[in-house]
Amino acid sequence: MLLRRIYQFLMIYLIGLAILLMIKYVVNLSDYVIPSLGILLNTFGGISSTYAHDVFSTLCVAIIGQIFSIMLAFVVGILGRKTTWLGSLIKVAAYNIQAYPIVALAPIIFILLGDGFVSRLLIAAMICYFPLLLSVVGILAEPITEVEHFYQQTGRMRWQLEVKIRSFENLPKLTTVIAGSATLAMAGTIVAEFIAANAGIGYSIRIALYQSDLSKILVALFMIGITLSIYQGALEIAGRLVKSAWEQ
Amino acid sequence: MVIRARSVFPLLIDRLARLISMSVALGVTFFILDPAIAQENLTYRLKWLINMSTVGDIVAVHQGCFLEQGLTVTLKSGGPERDAIRDLELGHADFGVASGDQVIQAISKGSPVVVVAQLFQKNPLQWVYFKNKIRIDGLTDLKNKTIGVTFGKNDEIIMRTLLVKSGLSERQVRLYSVRLDYTPFYKGVADLWPVYINTQGVEIGHKLMASGASIAFLDPESHGVLFVANSVVTSKRLLEEHPERVHRFIKGLIKGWTTAVEGTDTDRIVDDVRRYDRDTSRDLLFAQLDQTRALVKPGKTVSIGRINVPAWEQTEAIMLANQQIDRPVNVGTRLRLEFVE
Repeated sequence: MLLRRIYQFLMIYLIGLAILLMIKYVVNLSDYVIPSLGILLNTFGGISSTYAHDVFSTLCVAIIGQIFSIMLAFVVGILGRKTTWLGSLIKVAAYNIQAYPIVALAPIIFILLGDGFVSRLLIAAMICYFPLLLSVVGILAEPITEVEHFYQQTGRMRWQLEVKIRSFENLPKLTTVIAGSATLAMAGTIVAEFIAANAGIGYSIRIALYQSDLSKILVALFMIGITLSIYQGALEIAGRLVKSAWEQ
Repeated sequence: MVIRARSVFPLLIDRLARLISMSVALGVTFFILDPAIAQENLTYRLKWLINMSTVGDIVAVHQGCFLEQGLTVTLKSGGPERDAIRDLELGHADFGVASGDQVIQAISKGSPVVVVAQLFQKNPLQWVYFKNKIRIDGLTDLKNKTIGVTFGKNDEIIMRTLLVKSGLSERQVRLYSVRLDYTPFYKGVADLWPVYINTQGVEIGHKLMASGASIAFLDPESHGVLFVANSVVTSKRLLEEHPERVHRFIKGLIKGWTTAVEGTDTDRIVDDVRRYDRDTSRDLLFAQLDQTRALVKPGKTVSIGRINVPAWEQTEAIMLANQQIDRPVNVGTRLRLEFVE
């Protein structure tokens, strides 16, 4: 599963790169517009270790932000799963808040909290949280009638049991949602770093953009893609392990 | 067939032939004489958002300087993610504005770009500081100061060059990463903050002076650092294939900048800028106009748009010393001096 994710990413990246190079040579563009393969390899050799460190820094923030979002999404999702007034309010609030573009809110966050770790974390969590919440609410609000019916009839149904049943029955869906939210957390962190942080791969991309250096940006994209593929693959494996442990 | 038709309808054919030739002659005459018909469409990509730094470009468009040259020019604003030189190569623009370092960087990567005019004779980039907090009489006074720089942008290179000139090592100062807002400067986290003297400098200056603060600016040029800012670029191909078009464009553009810099109808000039920059008050725009004029024409003998070759050579040398380029590009060969008197 992990290997499949990696080679799928490599295929997509190489196809994208091949298209770029094809455009470069067909339209006869200079290395300033699209770098040649030689320049790209040279840049990769020169900055890959620095960028690997930057991506790792970004990934750490993204993981913490994602964990925070998952926990919060489950707490709010459990509260919002019922078709009560509170449940409906939580769903409406999640839909509305999700509509605000984070890039518009990010500068306010940076002014209030500075450009350190907390701002990056908060923005990553915000980008990741709302889609996650909507999925979790959707999954936990769906009754598993054939299983729950027995516990309801015997009067043994408690909210903890209800959540467990619904989570277990939807574990593949939840795993997919959590693995998918990793992309959002990573994207959120990169956006935060791009806007105003002073560390991470988003910050490095901003510098490369100022220098009009597309080769650095392409190397950064490669590092982000490969790291994200490994992380998502690891999450999927973790999901399977949890399921098999739960089944036993 | 024609001969046969002519023999059948001689009068009609003759009249038709006369009518067609007259129509063609009239059409050609109108095409040449009427600028509204003879206009050529050009796209001009600016370096940054449209504000007072682009006043001459705006005036050239809105006060008919390009139209007089038979050109309809579309102004496109720039930004961090937009690059005029890339647009030239991709055919999205015919002319553009780029800073000296962008041009040199592009030449080093094989871009067929040429410089046809230099808008700012003096680089607007300076560092603002509170006079009551620090005192800077010479570059050595930068020692132990926290200096804001935008890593990756030309202010980083300029500051590093100033540090080399001062004899200070980078360990003797603290370089602080600049972001969108000025809070770290206002809070005193950074002692010096990079600003464009004609836009941000005026804005911040007014705010701080209104609050009773006393500020000053560190000007790299007064310490011998010449680093070329906004210049007009086009592609080698356009220059070779249509030199007259380039000539007309520059003529219109220089007329626009001359009106902006020397014109007495400042109300109209500010109104033109306000079409694009609605967030800046009129008072500030007048102050920004004064500052911009000093950058475009710093002395009576300096021609507007003149390409300052020694400044370009120094910019290249600075970039080489800072390893922004890996070999000399001989930028002088890409400077086309013939378009500006």
